[in-house]
Amino acid sequence: MSTWSAAMLVFRKDLRIELRSGEILITSGFFALLVAVMTSLSFYLDDVTSRRVAPGVLWISIAFSGVLAMGRSFQRERDHDVMRALLLSPLPRPGIFFGKMLGILAFLTLVEALLIPVVAILYRLDLWATWHTLSLLVLLGTIGFAAAGTLFAAMGVRTRTKELVLSVVLFPLVSPALLAGVVSCREVLGGASLGEVLDWVRVLVAFDLVLLVFGALLFGPLTSE
Amino acid sequence: MFGPTRALSGVDLSLEAGLVTVVEGPNGSGKSTLLDILSLLSRPTRGSLHFGKFDAWRSRASLRGSLGVLAHAAMLYPDLSGRENLELFARMYRVDLKRVAEFGERFDATGFWQRPVRTYSRGQLQRVALARALVHSPRLILLDEPSTGLDVRATEQLVVAVQAERARGAIVALITHDQPLIERLADRRVRLVRGRVEQIDASSRASGQT
Repeated sequence: MSTWSAAMLVFRKDLRIELRSGEILITSGFFALLVAVMTSLSFYLDDVTSRRVAPGVLWISIAFSGVLAMGRSFQRERDHDVMRALLLSPLPRPGIFFGKMLGILAFLTLVEALLIPVVAILYRLDLWATWHTLSLLVLLGTIGFAAAGTLFAAMGVRTRTKELVLSVVLFPLVSPALLAGVVSCREVLGGASLGEVLDWVRVLVAFDLVLLVFGALLFGPLTSE
Repeated sequence: MFGPTRALSGVDLSLEAGLVTVVEGPNGSGKSTLLDILSLLSRPTRGSLHFGKFDAWRSRASLRGSLGVLAHAAMLYPDLSGRENLELFARMYRVDLKRVAEFGERFDATGFWQRPVRTYSRGQLQRVALARALVHSPRLILLDEPSTGLDVRATEQLVVAVQAERARGAIVALITHDQPLIERLADRRVRLVRGRVEQIDASSRASGQT
């Protein structure tokens, strides 16, 4: 089976389970919104402060709810030791990696689609002119975050370290993407155009490519033996 | 090796096609480690493993489709139905979905397999798990305590299924403490003690004493 077919098989399975239970979207979506609301209540917000604080709030919400989504997504493989069945199967390891990553990416993107307008309302941001650039930056940051998270969450299933690996190793690893995401979003909300944040876009794309390639290559060795 | 602990040592064992080899031994004797090695999930720190003429570890990617494993855990998605689980695994192994219906009938699972797996009794879970392990007609079948939780009827279905796989020419390794099951199925008996093969016998069944 090709890597793509295997990825689609795993992705469709996760989608089917999620459509039935709604577990990941509800828990991580609710958590992301809670973080956004709580932080908005913590600051005295004038227009300048809003634009400075909102990117940090957005990415903190994405990061924390993302870890929650990754943990829940791999809990499905942990129950009844289904991860073992996936590893015993002839599915190519990169296919399993990409399938799980696509699922997490899709769920996080849906959460972000809800989160960004809520943050815009809470922080009185006008996204009319910037929503497409902002969405691109958030998507690029989320791809790398989901790739790294998939790798470490899968490791947790087999090594019994569970969320420990995810929290201790993931955040230092993805900090370049999170920092690039925060800074580039701050610039865009401050009026910068896509051309002006192109260096940050390059950083995010490079980071995504490295994590996707290494994730696909390391998924097999880190989940077996 | 598990850290400083040597889980298996000096194991020289061959499993043959068309025979059921029972692996026995007390808890901690290395049966689960042997199962992990045979199922290509763990690599032995020393020694080699061959599947026919192939070095099994080197050829593991292509050999995985030839393995069927039933372990302690059911290895089924709790939120999917039994049928959905079997269809998923059939797709992974590129098996015609008609075979799923056939296996549902064979393991008497069609009466409950539309329900999510998390609602199953232990016996129902084990029947669907067995169907999952066999649906792709594997050449090497590894069964770890397959009769756990099965009632008399389901145990009989298990025996018939293993006999059918043996007749098909599959290599069957059965890890169990279930003496009646051993007496009915074993062609060879291997005893592991503290990670070493202590004894290999042709069983009474194979030597025609029953």
